Amino acid sequence: MQPLDDKKQRKQDKKVRFLILQPAGFPMTSGEEEYPIVKNKKVFERYMREQWIGLKIKKGDYLFDGRMYPGFAFEVVIAEPENSMIDEETTILLEDDTLEEEKEVGIQRREYDIQFKDVIGQDLAKKKCKLIKKFLDEPEKFRGWEPRNVLFYGPAGTGKTMMAKALVSETNVNLIGINATNLIGEHVGEGSANIHRLYDYAEKDAPCIIFIDEIDAIALDRRYQELRGDVSEIVNALITEMDGITDRRGVCLIAATNMADMLDSAIKSRFEEEIEFRLPDRKERLEILEVYAKKYPISLSKDVDLEKIADSTEGFSGRDLTDKILKVALHRAILDDEKEVKTEYLNCALEELGEKKRKNVPDTLYR
Amino acid sequence: MMGPQMGYDRAITVFSPDGRLFQVEYAREAVKRGTTAVGIISDEGVVLLVDKRITSKLLVPESIEKIFNIDDHIAIATSGLVADARVLIDRARMECQVNRMTYSEPIGVEVLAKKICDHKQQYTQFGGVRPYGTALLIAGVGNGRPRLFETDPSGALMEYRATSIGEGRNSAMKIFEERADENITFEGSILMGLDALYEVAKDKLDASTVEIGYVKREDAKVKKMDPEKVREYVERVKWMHKEEEKDKGEEKEE
Repeated sequence: MQPLDDKKQRKQDKKVRFLILQPAGFPMTSGEEEYPIVKNKKVFERYMREQWIGLKIKKGDYLFDGRMYPGFAFEVVIAEPENSMIDEETTILLEDDTLEEEKEVGIQRREYDIQFKDVIGQDLAKKKCKLIKKFLDEPEKFRGWEPRNVLFYGPAGTGKTMMAKALVSETNVNLIGINATNLIGEHVGEGSANIHRLYDYAEKDAPCIIFIDEIDAIALDRRYQELRGDVSEIVNALITEMDGITDRRGVCLIAATNMADMLDSAIKSRFEEEIEFRLPDRKERLEILEVYAKKYPISLSKDVDLEKIADSTEGFSGRDLTDKILKVALHRAILDDEKEVKTEYLNCALEELGEKKRKNVPDTLYR
Repeated sequence: MMGPQMGYDRAITVFSPDGRLFQVEYAREAVKRGTTAVGIISDEGVVLLVDKRITSKLLVPESIEKIFNIDDHIAIATSGLVADARVLIDRARMECQVNRMTYSEPIGVEVLAKKICDHKQQYTQFGGVRPYGTALLIAGVGNGRPRLFETDPSGALMEYRATSIGEGRNSAMKIFEERADENITFEGSILMGLDALYEVAKDKLDASTVEIGYVKREDAKVKKMDPEKVREYVERVKWMHKEEEKDKGEEKEE
């Protein structure tokens, strides 16, 4: 009888043990209000608990501040247990203490549902990513020989970003994805500060991968930077961080660019491996077409000859194939209310691409 | 200023820090906009094949020239900017006549190629000009030997046994490299050349837009192939490709 009693007891006065909030802003705005920033978490917890005591909440509810910033809302992200009451012992947390920080440097954090096998071809890159996965899984195995900095380069649309995403979903570590342009900042000195902050932040999160997309925006060869008006401090900051003067354990940098020639030589030399992403060959093109055609929401007509399309798309990147051909064809089929994607739609998409190419060329000028 | 050139492509006479002349490289891109031209050496002589790409029915096909008769024994196929090509052709014809006047003998193929390239090179080294946006295939017979030279906008020249310029260069070169044969027959060279053109144009390859010129070792005279004969060859190549595809299709079904 004892356990049953216990359960009953708990049901009667279910109390929130953990409450995680996310600031949701004011319901209305005149464009004037300042956005409240939490300075002291302990005081914040007390202050909020006092106001909300006795409230019954569940995930998705909104809680309003009634005193300092009347009307300012917080969304309940997690209430543990659900449908329970706030009392004197409830722990109130803001969703992510580092939320503000993330916003400042423009970090993106997402979970992806991409696996290595979704990236077709690019075997070299796959091998390296598997090694990085090994390192992140059992870092003690490497002892000072860990992979640190890897550069992905190659034409647009060949899967550089996708590979990084796949690495994240395969390893379950954090990926701090950041676009290099976000690191630059507005004022002199901001760029280098951002980079150091990024690494500080990554270290807290270790093991983790920093993925800097379009790194050429910040790591341009210093002799060109002068021409563009950049300040070389960003490059210098990046170099010191990549060198690991301050020991950043379990942080792995992957950078991507499609202008590898233009990178600063000092930065380039710090990448232990430069992995080229190539345009897919005929076999890989066919594989890409086949894999993605299977993901169509409506079926692909049986008489479609994907091999023929693979033949006539030399020089196309993976993204060209999926976005410019498969997607366009699918959209046409949907527009015509067809039940399947027929050959003519694919041919149409292909031809249009060809025409666009031709239209750019005044053909009486060149023979 | 954005982009990889950072101002080093504004003047042809200025090197970029890593030693590139961007304007000259851009001129080579102009060549890639041109239609495909191929040249192949065989045991009997040298053959030039071009696909003229005719986009309008109203256009008179004969008005588009891609293979030029330069001297009795030398023909040139061009790809790239048409207007630039004409100027170079005029220049080449003049060089041939100058040679005849000065030395009372026909100019050597290599000599002519070098003279044209000297001229092209000038346009990469002096200010206020731009390079020629044209590549040439110079084909001819000298001292009983068929020769084939390719020139590019930088003024570089190379002798080939089989080569190609224009938009279809890569696929054509792939075919040539696979099927390179020192003892290829004259007919074999024509078929291989048409195969290369077919690879670029596919089913759209049309006999009325294909032009074939050749210089044979026996008489060292530039000749254009009769349109009827061109049609025969083109149909044959197209038929061969169709058969091949049929075979492939059958294999698949099996």
